[in-house]
Amino acid sequence: MINFEEELKKFHPSLEVEDAEDAIYNQDLTDVADVLVGMMKDVKAEAMGLE
Amino acid sequence: MKCFNCGRQLSEKDFCTSCGADVALYKKIIYTSNYFYNEGLEKAGVRDLSGAVISLRQSLKFNKNNVQARNLLGLVYYEMGEVVKGLSEWVISKNLQAEKNIADDYIDMIQQNPSRLETINQTIKKYNLALGYCQQDSLDLAVIQLKKVLSLNSRYVRAHQLLALLYMKAEEWDKAGRELDKCSRIDMCNTTTHRYRKEVDRMLEAAESARTKGTGKKKKAAEDVIKYQSGNETIIQPVNNREGKGVSVALNIGIGITIGVAAACFLILPAKQNTDTNMAQEELRIVSEQLDKKTGAIEELEQQIRQLTEENDGLKQDLSDYAGEDGKMEVVDGLLNAVSIYLETPENTERIGQALEKIDSQAVSQVESQYFKTLYQQLLTQAGPSVAESYYKNGMDAYQKEMYEDAIKELTKAAGYDPENGDIIYNLGNAYRQNGNRKEAIEAYSFVVENFPGTERARRSQSFLRELQENNEPR
Repeated sequence: MINFEEELKKFHPSLEVEDAEDAIYNQDLTDVADVLVGMMKDVKAEAMGLE
Repeated sequence: MKCFNCGRQLSEKDFCTSCGADVALYKKIIYTSNYFYNEGLEKAGVRDLSGAVISLRQSLKFNKNNVQARNLLGLVYYEMGEVVKGLSEWVISKNLQAEKNIADDYIDMIQQNPSRLETINQTIKKYNLALGYCQQDSLDLAVIQLKKVLSLNSRYVRAHQLLALLYMKAEEWDKAGRELDKCSRIDMCNTTTHRYRKEVDRMLEAAESARTKGTGKKKKAAEDVIKYQSGNETIIQPVNNREGKGVSVALNIGIGITIGVAAACFLILPAKQNTDTNMAQEELRIVSEQLDKKTGAIEELEQQIRQLTEENDGLKQDLSDYAGEDGKMEVVDGLLNAVSIYLETPENTERIGQALEKIDSQAVSQVESQYFKTLYQQLLTQAGPSVAESYYKNGMDAYQKEMYEDAIKELTKAAGYDPENGDIIYNLGNAYRQNGNRKEAIEAYSFVVENFPGTERARRSQSFLRELQENNEPR
């Protein structure tokens, strides 16, 4: 049996056109490739530090 | 595929042939991103839009620069009625790849149609308003708003789902089912839609089985009769049926009438009222839609009026530039007047001079017509010396009467029309000297000494110059 109140909580207000700019700026664009590149740079920096 | 370290094109090797960076893992990440993109594309192709969104977002988590995945995600969002989310993805895509990007066309398509953009915004605002009504328990108003939303954008999946939920709350299972059908036509495999669908189907089946039980009772009642053939006629006689007495028959008729009246009061009238209310709501919805359209049209017309007013102001400004007191038309009129006077009465130097004085020399330089400038120069060449002579004569008369202020004015005008005349400049210097304008007198005498050397005027000017410089005081 579906609970109306609980279901209603799952609906959220839509973004309006005026809010699009903020939504674009606040979007987290970090991807796995970034993480990998960061890790490789860290490893390289550590290796150079040991030398 | 490009190297993350140096940006060069990668080969089939597991390292960059340009900078030597290890790209084996990086390549796997990119391939995974492409795999999810292909999956998203496949799902979008069979209208599993929710599934496509999940796959494409996954693809972008692996590689944010996968422009094709981002464009497709935007398109899927747009198809589901989530226009702002779609726009956001396209804008980011455009920033990642400025050239040869189809997101450019999508953005243009929306931006070049301001009324469409306005409609989209109105749709979103109304949806948010409907959600607010739901939270305030004003479910009827929410239904009206959602119907408006769907009349503006029939592909808004979330609005269909919310409307279905409201119908379910009101136990209008058929209507809820229709809304969910519409959802499924847009997005086939939406989990929420299927969950609601299951509930609606369960309730419809329960209602159907209740109806079927009612029909069974009727059949049973039909079986409680005896049918037999008497000649050509079929006789139907109830089992154990006894003839009622007169009182009980009348009582039954009375009860029947009472039940009939009660049914009319409690069933038919509310149903009629309900129908009337629905019709009124439908009319209200239609009127609201028309009002929205007309409001949009009025806004467009107001915009046009503003533009036309601005154009009108600009044209008025241009007209005043041409026809105003300091305008070009005034200058042209002044020159035509002076030329007319010169052609009619060339000997009347006083009137010609007055007409020329009215022409603003600064405004003359702003007129772009070459013919105008030529005519002005010709008039100055032909009429200038005689006008100058007239002013010179007036100036000398004033000088003789020791009215040096007037003499300076007249001689200055004369010098303006005949600047090469040494007599005018020399006597202007005299007038300045007599009037106590030492600096101006020195300038005038210096001009005569420089431009007319060896003349009597130059010799006298030199003498006065020496005198003025020695005294160093105005006389």
